[in-house]
Amino acid sequence: MSEENKKYWKSLDSFNDPNFAKETIKHEFQEGVTDEFNISNMSGVSRRKFIGLLTASTAIAATACSDYHDQKEIVPYTNRPEGVLPGKPNYYASTCNGCAEACGILIKTREGRPIKVDGNDEHPINKGKICATGQSSIYNLYDPSRLQNPLKGNTKTTWADVDSQIIKKLDYESSKGKKIVVLTNSINSPTERKMLDEFKQRFTSAEIHTFDLFNNCHRKYGWFKSYGNADVPSIKWDEANIILSLEGDFLGKEGNFIENTRLFSSKRDFTNVDNFNRLYVVEAGLSLTGSNSDYRMRLKPEAQYDFVMALLNEVIKKGASNIVIDSRVKNKLSKFSLDSVSSSNGLDSIKINYLVEDLIKNKGKSIIYAGDSLSGDVHIAVNLLNEILGNSDLYNYETAYVNTGKQLHFPQIEELIKSYNNNDVGVVIHYDVNPSYHLPESLKYDEALGNVGFVVSLLDSVNESTKHDYFTLPINHAFESWGDAHSRKNVYSLRQPVIAPLFNSRQKEAILLTWILGSPKVYNESLYHDYLMESCRENIYSKKKVSSDFISFWNAALHDGYINIDDNKASRKPFNISSINISDAPKEHTGFSVLLAKDYFIGDGRFANNGWLQEIPHPISKVAWDNYAAIAPSSAGEMNLQNGDMIKVTVGDNSVEIPIMLQPGVAKNTVVIELGYGRTVIGDAGKEVGHNANDLLNVKSKNSRWICSNATVEPTGNKYEIFSTQEHHSLEDDFVKDIHHKRGIIREASLDEYSKDPAFAREQDVELFSITEEHAQEGEKWAMSIDMNKCTSCAVCVASCNVENNIPVVGKDQVAVGREMHWMRIDRYYSGSSDDPIVSNQPMLCQHCDNAPCENVCPVNATNHSPDGLNQMVYNRCVGTRYCANNCSYKVRRFNFYNFRDHFVNAYYLNEVSPLVHNPEVTVRSRGVMEKCSFCVQKISEEREDAIREGRQINGDNVSPACQQACPADAIVFGDANNPESKISQYRKHELGYGVLQNLNVKPNVTYVAKLRNTHSEDV
Amino acid sequence: MKKSILDYTLKVRVPLIIFVILITFLTTYFVSRQERDGVGNQPVQPIKYSHKLHAGEMGIDCQYCHVGATKGRQALVPSVNICMNCHTVTRKDQPEIIKLREYYESGKVLPWKRVHKVPEYAYFNHSVHVNTGIDCETCHGNVREMEEIIQVKSFTMSACLDCHKQPEKFIPYLENVKEGPRHCAACHR
Repeated sequence: MSEENKKYWKSLDSFNDPNFAKETIKHEFQEGVTDEFNISNMSGVSRRKFIGLLTASTAIAATACSDYHDQKEIVPYTNRPEGVLPGKPNYYASTCNGCAEACGILIKTREGRPIKVDGNDEHPINKGKICATGQSSIYNLYDPSRLQNPLKGNTKTTWADVDSQIIKKLDYESSKGKKIVVLTNSINSPTERKMLDEFKQRFTSAEIHTFDLFNNCHRKYGWFKSYGNADVPSIKWDEANIILSLEGDFLGKEGNFIENTRLFSSKRDFTNVDNFNRLYVVEAGLSLTGSNSDYRMRLKPEAQYDFVMALLNEVIKKGASNIVIDSRVKNKLSKFSLDSVSSSNGLDSIKINYLVEDLIKNKGKSIIYAGDSLSGDVHIAVNLLNEILGNSDLYNYETAYVNTGKQLHFPQIEELIKSYNNNDVGVVIHYDVNPSYHLPESLKYDEALGNVGFVVSLLDSVNESTKHDYFTLPINHAFESWGDAHSRKNVYSLRQPVIAPLFNSRQKEAILLTWILGSPKVYNESLYHDYLMESCRENIYSKKKVSSDFISFWNAALHDGYINIDDNKASRKPFNISSINISDAPKEHTGFSVLLAKDYFIGDGRFANNGWLQEIPHPISKVAWDNYAAIAPSSAGEMNLQNGDMIKVTVGDNSVEIPIMLQPGVAKNTVVIELGYGRTVIGDAGKEVGHNANDLLNVKSKNSRWICSNATVEPTGNKYEIFSTQEHHSLEDDFVKDIHHKRGIIREASLDEYSKDPAFAREQDVELFSITEEHAQEGEKWAMSIDMNKCTSCAVCVASCNVENNIPVVGKDQVAVGREMHWMRIDRYYSGSSDDPIVSNQPMLCQHCDNAPCENVCPVNATNHSPDGLNQMVYNRCVGTRYCANNCSYKVRRFNFYNFRDHFVNAYYLNEVSPLVHNPEVTVRSRGVMEKCSFCVQKISEEREDAIREGRQINGDNVSPACQQACPADAIVFGDANNPESKISQYRKHELGYGVLQNLNVKPNVTYVAKLRNTHSEDV
Repeated sequence: MKKSILDYTLKVRVPLIIFVILITFLTTYFVSRQERDGVGNQPVQPIKYSHKLHAGEMGIDCQYCHVGATKGRQALVPSVNICMNCHTVTRKDQPEIIKLREYYESGKVLPWKRVHKVPEYAYFNHSVHVNTGIDCETCHGNVREMEEIIQVKSFTMSACLDCHKQPEKFIPYLENVKEGPRHCAACHR
């Protein structure tokens, strides 16, 4: 019998009677089954009713028994520390640890917890401003993924155990002559360096190696070759009329760009238009500096050398040399003709002519600046060019960069790795570094590390390099640590802790110091503090010759945050002409070039787990939570590539797969990739964000590790989604092309046009009458002005606003659907061609319109106007209709689609520590309410409070919103527009001041000062 | 039959039910109003502290202990060390003072029960009011007469606004008193 015809039966009845089964299925239940369920025969209380009664009585009983008057407890200090008044902030001067620049900071603490960081006004270098990374670094203190205990392998251990084992091991290995390798980032602290020296003396086989993914080695090398020392001077940007930046992002990420921005913007003062500087930028990628340039030219990074040589040749040929150049050099240079170099690289000859003319005309008043990524030879040539043009007057030796010592280069790193493999190394100490992530995989660092038996990492959180750790030791955040820094001549900065360590961590200096002293018992919390004081007494106090005793000197220094010291000044030395290295002839650069750049916010990846920083949109592309390969639209078009297509970039044996982003303004056949992404072992916020392109680092090159030639780019056929907070509008479509000019959103002109037509910014304005009553504006009227001449779109304002106003992190998935919560954004518009665009930036925030369109449409009056001119937002009234956001002309209202603290990465920031970062003066908004810029109303209230206490009138100049306070260019002015003497009312009246979308008659209270471009009038 | 039941329900039962509910609600609402606003809130404090003795009989200034009143948002419940300014010497043998000293010496927190509370979303500022010259009594009642602290006035938004609108009615002792701000952002941010 075949399987199909097999017959199944349940009982004998069904077997015998084929109809039996048919009959039974008609009755689902046996007869009589439901007979008992006659409701009328059953108890009056059904099960449902019973449960209902039970629930109700429980609820009533609970309500009746609870003491609804109970307001919980107030817990005062048992012994209130002097100077701490709950509810009043305390400020402590300290030093930022975000990068090697060591800016002076002022940490605002409330009830002993840091809630905001700003620049220290009195600090001579950064003068009250810090960068976005510094502003946001406070989130790292409260990062839930920080290491909380010392680990042995993966298990918790005690510090005493750690110390005794390590000391024993170190002593053993050094007695056997086996190497002890300490890997560190460059150290700007003299006391820490001294401590490391002592470490080397104590453990004689110890070696200290410094490695940074990004550094200014080439600049230092070039300077050393040219002038014989490595103390590179800073530049007096505020005295330069003409600035030529070669691949140098001095306004965005190189040197102390906060200082640079301040000095640069001081020459962009619209009240002094005769004194404008002119910025030429020649670069491959579109950088922040490039977007602010008056003239920008696209050039592949390798061709910069030829360009500088040609420029040198041209300037010498024109007889503009301030120094004598011997004929041998002249002859060699003569092979670099500016015309042929510019034509072979596609540089605009008109712009080149302007440049040469300007440089010669402004001898001694111009500066040429080469980027950190360019090779030492380019730097030497640039030094010579500056020397020839007499620009060396603009070098500021007073605040020269202090040399932080030698960096490891790739050949040395290969040696080091070899010694790991050869079993020459007994102990490796990762001193707050992450080499396994930073070094290209081809070097096989991680594998070699496995051959070292004893690896110790001192870290704030677990990273890629801890895989082979014997011990992983938690270190303090900078806000929990003592320290000092000497990154600039004549300035010595101090760092002090503002909060006790949150976890069972120690500061990294103290850990090493304990090992040096050779006993776990010597450790106490003030170990490094005492060491630091002693070092300060020896090296600073003794040389200062002050009359006060050391303790009062020390306390005064801590109060100020820095000490002016008398350094042996780097002085001006003669240029060593033989240093210049001139190749035979200009080279052809075919094939793709790769330029690897530092990320604007997360640096070398150290800050990848900081949600605030990940979410600040890239200053140019406006991409958040990702990196990408930026490529010119025309180059992408040749390969039929679109935004988000994955490509494989191959350089030699190494290749990386990464999505592309069509970035107008990138040089032809060039790929620009920002590093710091693609971290794999890190907290949940930063895990696998973006793509790791460190493998492309040019290990073999003698010139620059960040520039690769002869790369191949091929599409992989895959897609990846990258999200930008601002769409690229098509530059070809006539309807949207230059919409920002047509609608008067961006109003700009060249200086010449302005002198001919001073009222150009107001020409598009129309006189309108209102159909509604005007608001009575008595007393104060708060208003803001943003000077577009000074603004560089660095996004420090955005970062500062985030911290001040408790802005939540929403994550990539929410950015994708346009739900980022930033109260302030920086709009970027392109005009011109898609390959060579002109960029206009505009910070956009709530305009606090007099006739605000949002106010009319709110059904519950949750947003309305205050008598002092604020457009108020009342969260408790808001029911979330979002009509206001719909009706807002500027699209600055933000809706809480979720409780984002709960929603972001499974409530990553909803734990015990992270909420400590919140500003207690600002409500933490929850799901379902609208929010927007409040002009920092908490600061206005603070001024009102102070005014009443002091019995005076409110002074608008005393109020500075977070964005204004943070702006390194001083582009933002805020105050009382009803006070005719205030700066803001003068800005509002100025002919360059305009309101965006003025023709809607919404009467915005943010006045933008029209941008003046210092270009020649005929080519605008 | 069916129709008449429906008729009866609609005409008599439903209006009756609604009427009873309404009357009950309104009565409860108005009778319990003060109670719900927290008036009469007098929790048991961990230490039997008498404002009547300290502020009334001895005439100690409010701000001797509530140091924040002129300086910031919170008037502040005094930290234990302020109590100990006197009580290291005076009345050391009293049982309540012994309790106090235990708190001070052990460093254990002293959990005073909160009596007056403004909601978290209202940013009330003591210094603004005190520095304008408004007496503590205006809101807190005559504390000098209270053996144990009790809330006597309601702390609702309407109570705030009543005074902001008609200051001359509530703080007649201040000359030339101006109206308080009545816009949202004055208290809510």
